Amino acid sequence: MNRLFASLLLCGFIIIQAFAAEEKLEDFQVDTSVIAMDRGVDAFMNSCHGCHSLKYVHYRDLASFGIDKERIASWRGDSTLDSAMTSLLSDEAALASFGKVPPDLSMIVRAREGGASYVYSYLTGYYITPDGKTSNHFFPLTRMPDALEISTATDPVKRVEIIEQAHDIVSFLSWAADPHEAERKSLGYYVIGYLIILTVLLYNVKLQVWSRLKS
Amino acid sequence: MATRIIEWIDQRFPLTSFIKHELTDYPTPRNLGYWWNFGFLAGFVLMLQVVTGLFLAFHYKPDAAIAFDSVQHLMRDVNYGWLLRYMHATGASSFFLVIYIHMARTLYYGSYRAPRELMWWTGQVLLLLLMATAFMGYLLPWGQMSFWGATVITNLFRATPFIGDQVVVWLRGDYAVGDDTLTRFFALHYLFPFLIIGAVVIHLVALHSVKSSNPSGIDLADKDNIPLHPYYTSKDFFGLGVFLILYFIVVFFFPHSVLEPANNVPANPLITPDHIVPEWYFLPFYAILRSVPNMVGGVAAMALSVMIFAFMPFLDRSRIPGGGRYRPVYRIMFFLFMLDIAVLGYVGFVPPTNKTIAIGQVATVYYFGSFLLLPLISKVEDKWLFKRGLPAKIKTLIASEEEEKRKRRHR
Ligand code: HEC
Repeated sequence: MNRLFASLLLCGFIIIQAFAAEEKLEDFQVDTSVIAMDRGVDAFMNSCHGCHSLKYVHYRDLASFGIDKERIASWRGDSTLDSAMTSLLSDEAALASFGKVPPDLSMIVRAREGGASYVYSYLTGYYITPDGKTSNHFFPLTRMPDALEISTATDPVKRVEIIEQAHDIVSFLSWAADPHEAERKSLGYYVIGYLIILTVLLYNVKLQVWSRLKS
Repeated sequence: MATRIIEWIDQRFPLTSFIKHELTDYPTPRNLGYWWNFGFLAGFVLMLQVVTGLFLAFHYKPDAAIAFDSVQHLMRDVNYGWLLRYMHATGASSFFLVIYIHMARTLYYGSYRAPRELMWWTGQVLLLLLMATAFMGYLLPWGQMSFWGATVITNLFRATPFIGDQVVVWLRGDYAVGDDTLTRFFALHYLFPFLIIGAVVIHLVALHSVKSSNPSGIDLADKDNIPLHPYYTSKDFFGLGVFLILYFIVVFFFPHSVLEPANNVPANPLITPDHIVPEWYFLPFYAILRSVPNMVGGVAAMALSVMIFAFMPFLDRSRIPGGGRYRPVYRIMFFLFMLDIAVLGYVGFVPPTNKTIAIGQVATVYYFGSFLLLPLISKVEDKWLFKRGLPAKIKTLIASEEEEKRKRRHR
């Protein structure tokens, strides 16, 4: 009887675990405006850059996106405009503190199933378990601390602030993973439009050529 | 002036007569539907891959230490580098889609029947070359899926009798997939398209000797043929327009649908991804591999599942031309086979569970069953159709085909 009860409990626990692992991702809409980007870079530099690099993004890329040069200067410190946005944290120090090197975030939005929605859900998914530990709904065993401190924020105003911050950061990271997305889409409309006109013309050519056959 | 130049060339090279013979006078059945566009499309996509590939190679570095970085450099800093890469990646998927449709058309209409066996077999060689090229190309970005996909697939060659382990080392250039593998795969990925072009030339020479098949499945009388140009060139170009619209919608708006997220993580021999999946075009064959519990058996089954198409001219014993068009049983078999491939594709995609393994095994048996039972089924169907009485139209088709065969023998 006891064993049956124990196994039932275990089953229930496993089901809950499985359920927790398949938590639904928050739907995420990327904000592509310069202002959101500016806030996103700022929040990233304050909360993430201490641990995470963006080795494929250079400070000059921010300038070509349209961000103010002086703002960039305040972020990059001693690094040149041409240098990559690498973190100062060494791999050894990271291994010593976290047992793991924090991944480079240049491609993170493209490197996870769920993309931006996943990264956003992960950042805002920290919570305090009943026994007082910090965990994450979307990555229960993550070694990363709750960088935005959402799990301990109880004040609703503060929570909204953090959520907006996460939103800006993920918008910035989405751009970092796919910097030509806006250009790609706008070029796409022209190309598809041109091809549709061309194809209609080609269809008419075909009809005209084939009409000679109907004898 | 222009005519004088052409005259000058014609005295030294059969330019005008070539154009006449292969284009403006080349007889093509007038009843070809749009399913006959896909051979031309395949040739177009081949050229697209060669050209985009050439420009990608200008920037790519086949060195394990910097390959991933060089792709990122291309995507971010090279002018329209992202466009080249998305076009090439989408092109690979499109190539398989076009080739699979081309094959499905051949199967449905029985175009592999005499006298087109050599076309079918050169096509089979082309399919193998295409698969090898795509597989090697997939290693080049040096992401996690590149690395682990290549590891899993090269490992299958351990099933080679007696010299399995040596073959694997020989393929990889090392005991594990690494820098040597990457460099040789790049060299071969650049070479294979030229082998493909060679095989395409043979495919086309054979085509221009036996001429196109058509939906009725027999060789038509001269009055039913029209010149390739301008009739089919205009039709092919319209088809190309439709293809390009769909292709560029993916390139510009959904390019990530052809790039696995795990492949945006640099290759790491120490971390295995949770779930290694091949590209969609290999999924049915991958499902067959996994359906056989024993590795050597699985590899043999997978190899056979690709090669078995070559036996179609022998397996199909029906005398009735036109394949699925005039043969109801064959038609049903065709569509069930397509369904079976879709089921296998699904099974290959999802992580294996007892249920999907069982489904995969049933689908695998069905896959081979459709080929192995075809001689019997096609014979019985043939008898039944003849007994039921064929429509006069088909009878004349068969008679004219017999006539053609006789003529060919006397030539
Ligand atoms: C104190 C150091 C630290 C800070 C600050 C930090 N991270 Fe992390 N981060 C880590 C570590 C360590 C990991 C590896 C976690 C693991 O794999 O268990 C990680 C992993 C991640 C991942 C990958 C999760 C996955 O699915 O593998 C993302 C995304 C991420 N961090 C985003 C951020 C963002 C955005 C910020 C800023 C708000 C940030 N991190 C701040 C240490 C940090």
